[in-house]
Amino acid sequence: MTRNAKTALIPSFQRPVSRVVIRSVASYEQDLLALIYETLCEFDLPLRGKKVLLKPNLVGPDPLGVTNTHPAVIAASRESLLRLGAEQVLIGEGPALDRDTEAILESIGLRHYAGPLAGVFVDLNVDDVEKVLLKTTASRLKELYLPKTVLGADFVISMPKLKTHHWAGVTLSLKNMFGIVPGSCYGWPKNVLHWAGIDSAILDINAAVRPDFAIVDGIVGMEGNGPIQGEPKNSGVLILGDDPVAVDATCCRVMGLLPEKVRYLTQAGILLGHIQPDKIQQLGESIASVRTPFSVLDNFKHLVDTSAEFGTQPALVG
Amino acid sequence: MIPGNQGVFAPQSSSGARGGVIASAQGQSQSASFVESVCLPKLRSAQNDDGGWGYRPGSQSRVEPTCWALQALINVAAVEVSSEACHRGLQFLRSAQLPDGSWPFAAGQEVGCSVTAPACWALLSGKNSFEAVAAGLNWLSQDRPQDSVFWRRLLRRLSPARHRSRQNSAYRGWGWNPGTSSWVEPTSVALVVLGLCPKELLPAGANERRQSAEAMLYDRMCPGGGWNCGDPLVYGVPGKPLVIPTAWALLALRRYPQRPENLASLDWLAGKLPDEAGPGSLALAQICLEAYGHKWPATAHRPDDLYSNNEFLGSITTTAWVCLAANSRRSWLTGESGEAAR
Repeated sequence: MTRNAKTALIPSFQRPVSRVVIRSVASYEQDLLALIYETLCEFDLPLRGKKVLLKPNLVGPDPLGVTNTHPAVIAASRESLLRLGAEQVLIGEGPALDRDTEAILESIGLRHYAGPLAGVFVDLNVDDVEKVLLKTTASRLKELYLPKTVLGADFVISMPKLKTHHWAGVTLSLKNMFGIVPGSCYGWPKNVLHWAGIDSAILDINAAVRPDFAIVDGIVGMEGNGPIQGEPKNSGVLILGDDPVAVDATCCRVMGLLPEKVRYLTQAGILLGHIQPDKIQQLGESIASVRTPFSVLDNFKHLVDTSAEFGTQPALVG
Repeated sequence: MIPGNQGVFAPQSSSGARGGVIASAQGQSQSASFVESVCLPKLRSAQNDDGGWGYRPGSQSRVEPTCWALQALINVAAVEVSSEACHRGLQFLRSAQLPDGSWPFAAGQEVGCSVTAPACWALLSGKNSFEAVAAGLNWLSQDRPQDSVFWRRLLRRLSPARHRSRQNSAYRGWGWNPGTSSWVEPTSVALVVLGLCPKELLPAGANERRQSAEAMLYDRMCPGGGWNCGDPLVYGVPGKPLVIPTAWALLALRRYPQRPENLASLDWLAGKLPDEAGPGSLALAQICLEAYGHKWPATAHRPDDLYSNNEFLGSITTTAWVCLAANSRRSWLTGESGEAAR
């Protein structure tokens, strides 16, 4: 039984309205702690005494700060959660391509932002594992060995970077959960997931471990040939929400893309969360005011929203 | 040259080797002291009751960290293979072997995978498990990554996405898991193990398999030298090499030291090291450069310099690699251990 088995899979018509907040943030030098703390307070999350796992997207050395979730966002989120009463806030990631996780952490300077990493950071690639029978059959995977740190967390927060992806279209809080699958069982890269079908594997993983919350670093994102070789995109937003599917749908709309055309998001909208605008309570900045169209590779041109009304879709505006 | 091991890892006699291998005697002395005072005690104390090692002290015993901890104890600490620690470690490996000769990533998995190569390697160093090694090598020789099978390649040629990558999938290496694609690191480690094995342990067809795997590595090299995990060109954009796959690939291809690809990759590796902050990467790079007789870049950290940053994140594998890098004995890499045992 996985950590949130009772709440992961709920038909969309039975799921309550999701809440997503967009914050406009000019740079990583801004007071992110105050901003994230105040935003999290608005959600009244059940964090007191809980073990929280932050799952950033750390892919590889990133001198331009384009590829990985920025360490300033990770550190500010961690501190905010501790202030909100969480007993423990771990940072966990299993980088997909480079097995020297410490090299990545040092290259982005996470230690300088978050303090000593011993006892705080967990390399999910080499964590103890437990066999989890998957609850969905989107892919041919029937089971996955998943890290005990993830399965034992009371509250999981997916913290992706706002990026396009050359195989999946976009990589946001759902795709970010690929990083919980341990390289020590599935390799670098986690090629089993590719062979199972990326879209399908995203669904099965998130059905097994659905993030309870998402914080997307869109201050600087990546467009084009993401998730590694794309171009920086200054989009100036943090996007937070209590439904990873709704957060990803909102991110797509901010990026000028149609979430309804992202295959895995459409399917996630059936059982894992909401993508319909009328089921997402939009708080903070409006989508229209922060919209920053991202370029995509030719094979994802169909994702681009060309409608004149774009940005005015959400029906529920807080 | 050691009879029977095909001379694959015979020491090179380049000018670089004569010029003073790796780094100053002072640096080596500091590293050796660090290994004695920090790394080896850590490895000894982290052995689990079942004889294996986890990726971190106190975690589940797994095949891969057990292999590297054993290599470090046997080859650096000079612990006798008959000692209790080694005996228990080797017994853990033997008991983890699956009926088909392979080893799984984790207890409970019923399918073998890429850790079969390092398991064979560790047992060779342990000198008394040749039937288990032969079974493991036989499984490796039978393992067929799916990207290289004919109908997959045909589908790929007909696919509209065929232009996205330039790689030649006819070359066959090894994947991380059965039924997937060939990747640089598992291919390289398997090649190293096949290269150091006594000839009589090699299964039929091993030489042809090695040739194809070597060709695969050269095919997957990043433009300009070095390797990433195995996808050197995506949508026309050159991939960025990584230290660990590059070090492994160079070790696997060490019998071609003068090939332009090797030289370019060595240049890339040496040039990357001054910026490298991962102790595991640095340790493997040190082993690799030393194997080619190259000096350690004066501006690069030594792996032990970085311990105070994060205590290697508790990694047993990194700790073992640092031990092996700091020790000038390379019998574990040349096949002398296995040869001596026969």
